[in-house]
Amino acid sequence: MNTASRGLSRRDALKLAGLAGLAGVVTLYPERRAFATAHQTLDLAVERTRLTIDGATSHGIAIGGSIPAPTLRWREGQEVVVHVTNRLDEPTSIHWHGLLLQGVMDGAPGFNGYQPIMPGDTYTYRFQLRQAGTYWYHSHSAGQEQEGMYGAIVIQPAEREPVRADRDYVVVLSDHTPERPASVLRKLKLGSVSEGYYNRSKRTLFDFFRDAERDGLDATVRNRLDWGDMLMEPTDLADVTGYSFLVNGKGPQDNWTALFKPGERVRLRIINASAMTIFDVRIPGLPMTVVAADGQNVVPVKIDEFRFGVGETYDVLVLPQEDKAFTIFAEPIDRTGFARATLAPREGMSGDLPARRPRTILTMADMGMDHGSMAGMDHGSMAGMNHGAMPGMDHSSMPGMKQGPMAGMDHGSMKGMDHSAMMGMGAGSMPGMDHSTMAGMDHGTMAGMEQGAAKGSDRALGWADAATPPGTKALSYADLRAFSKTRDPREPTQEIVVRLTGMMSRYIWTLNGAKFDQGTPIRVAYGDRIRIRFVNETMMAHPMHLHGMFVELENGQKDRLPKKHVVLVPPGQTTSVQLTANEPGEWPFHCHLLYHMASGMMTRFIVERRTASL
Amino acid sequence: MRLNIRTLTAASLVTGIALLTVPGLALAGAGEPGHGHAAAVGEPAKASSAKRVVQVELGDNYYKPESISVKAGETVRFVLKNKGDFLHEFNIGTATMHAAHQKEMAMMVEHGMLTPTGINTSMNGMDHSKMGMAEMKHDDPNSVLVGPGETKELTWKFTKETALEFACNMPGHYESGMVGKVAFTR
Repeated sequence: MNTASRGLSRRDALKLAGLAGLAGVVTLYPERRAFATAHQTLDLAVERTRLTIDGATSHGIAIGGSIPAPTLRWREGQEVVVHVTNRLDEPTSIHWHGLLLQGVMDGAPGFNGYQPIMPGDTYTYRFQLRQAGTYWYHSHSAGQEQEGMYGAIVIQPAEREPVRADRDYVVVLSDHTPERPASVLRKLKLGSVSEGYYNRSKRTLFDFFRDAERDGLDATVRNRLDWGDMLMEPTDLADVTGYSFLVNGKGPQDNWTALFKPGERVRLRIINASAMTIFDVRIPGLPMTVVAADGQNVVPVKIDEFRFGVGETYDVLVLPQEDKAFTIFAEPIDRTGFARATLAPREGMSGDLPARRPRTILTMADMGMDHGSMAGMDHGSMAGMNHGAMPGMDHSSMPGMKQGPMAGMDHGSMKGMDHSAMMGMGAGSMPGMDHSTMAGMDHGTMAGMEQGAAKGSDRALGWADAATPPGTKALSYADLRAFSKTRDPREPTQEIVVRLTGMMSRYIWTLNGAKFDQGTPIRVAYGDRIRIRFVNETMMAHPMHLHGMFVELENGQKDRLPKKHVVLVPPGQTTSVQLTANEPGEWPFHCHLLYHMASGMMTRFIVERRTASL
Repeated sequence: MRLNIRTLTAASLVTGIALLTVPGLALAGAGEPGHGHAAAVGEPAKASSAKRVVQVELGDNYYKPESISVKAGETVRFVLKNKGDFLHEFNIGTATMHAAHQKEMAMMVEHGMLTPTGINTSMNGMDHSKMGMAEMKHDDPNSVLVGPGETKELTWKFTKETALEFACNMPGHYESGMVGKVAFTR
């Protein structure tokens, strides 16, 4: 690869002789000076650095001198050239997350002929920008992404922007630990259920008695036994804790601040560049209008909060009218802390910190084991289900189960519900209904509803329950509608089932039961329309990321399925996507939780020409 | 847009909805000339009375031009061409009026009366009274809905100088920047 790299460098040197002395310095042209045919060229060095978070010194790896790495502002259609120099004592790489490009430029070592950049070497990336929107870049080597190797990419469209904003900010969320990633992974593997190294909220004896009081001793004991037999814990929402949560590299006390004038329209390009953290994001007092998901424009949808999978991006517009500070608040779903930043008319201001949300308690439904509500379940898809792992499950006792049977239910799809039939509905006919789990539902329009029925936000049951207060709206995947119609309306001719599998107790995460390169790669023919069904058989959500191509989420939006590069698959649920296999190559296909990928939750997605001679 | 609130039943369930849908400004209907602060916004006029024609392109989700200059007392005939794939509105009002109207239009979309791409004509005249809801109609004199590919007109007399915007209040469009300033010149 270094030969190729030098070849390109020489060619560039002729065109960019004037910049020759700037190696190692970030060189970014202001976008408005874009020359019609000129390349955007820059040099990025990867090196160890120190950083200060809320006054405490820590260490990490910087790309281009900072954490996060500098925002790369490009324009659709441009050809960009990036020289990456490795000043570490270990191999590195940079992957352009969400960009459509030739396989070798994708930057994932071991795929498409790309080799890691060895210490002291420079690799030259060169690719044409075939899209617009908000993306990001990060290391695809070892745990370097966790150590700070991530930054934003903003690509202006060649055509007119469908939205207009007075201000435009990048908001990069991340999780930081001073611990080396290799050490984190070692501890994860060492930690058994009985130790739960990073999980500080194992259910306690106190919880046991509280549950017993609520559900009756029998049910509690039974529930406990079930969890015990499955070698999992109902509070296992995230497996690494002890993180600091950052906004643009700043801790909650550092308080990264973006300025606005009241009445201005502010675009926030929010990127979840965490290694392991799924967030719930909100700006109390300021509704957000989502205009893009994973860089791709969507029909604008107004919301109050959204759940944010690792690797995803959302562009939102906010219209602050008042002369006051607003808090951008992102809580990890295990509620072990928060990331915080401020939107303010002046520097030095800070808004109120909202009350922290409760941690949800996973239910059996999050295990896909809620047999009480199996009516609509598609048994056809259960082919690969491994019943061997469910030894102690007593099905005869399920009727007595009270806890959150609706947990996994997607209320986001209730939009089209005919409320006219609800007129005479007595509250008495809804005995078992737990409103606390109706996260995606828009209560704003249910004016006459007795709010007392909603339990409020002091308790959350089931993975989907973000404890969203009544009267506010959380984004649901079902709300996302592509701004442009689906280009390829063909019905998929090939369906691929990808089971998300793992053994929490040994920290082995797999796809279809096999670790990376022990399983068989996925092969599809170039040009075919493919359906992928993700069947999550674990109790954690997995943000599934395919390199090289967008997938279109089958969320009911017919000819406007939203394009995504990461799809967050909730625990115990099945999510399906379609794609047109129009990018030849062997692409990484993995869970974007760093330590899940590192422990094996990855495969090859090979797009090959029909003729065998690829 | 104006909601003709004709039927109120099942008061307990309705109260909230009714409150939500009361227009932010009781703009006088076409039949009775405006009074009070509504007059400041201006009034509808006959196309033949306009001395000036302004062409406006409606796209996804923007206007071209992004601001329009008028004089107090001037009558302008707006020719509105929708070049986009989505349904758009051209509504002249204050920012407060637009904010109120956005809630109404969100409800019309929610109930299927309007879709992102058009007006659901099959629902015209639908009796929402069984739901305890007021009948919804998009019939304000200061507003026009323009479907994809359509061209429509609105003639408006700007009676006196005030802070006005022309805006599309389809859900998310105003927020996305589909709003322009009416600039008064002397």
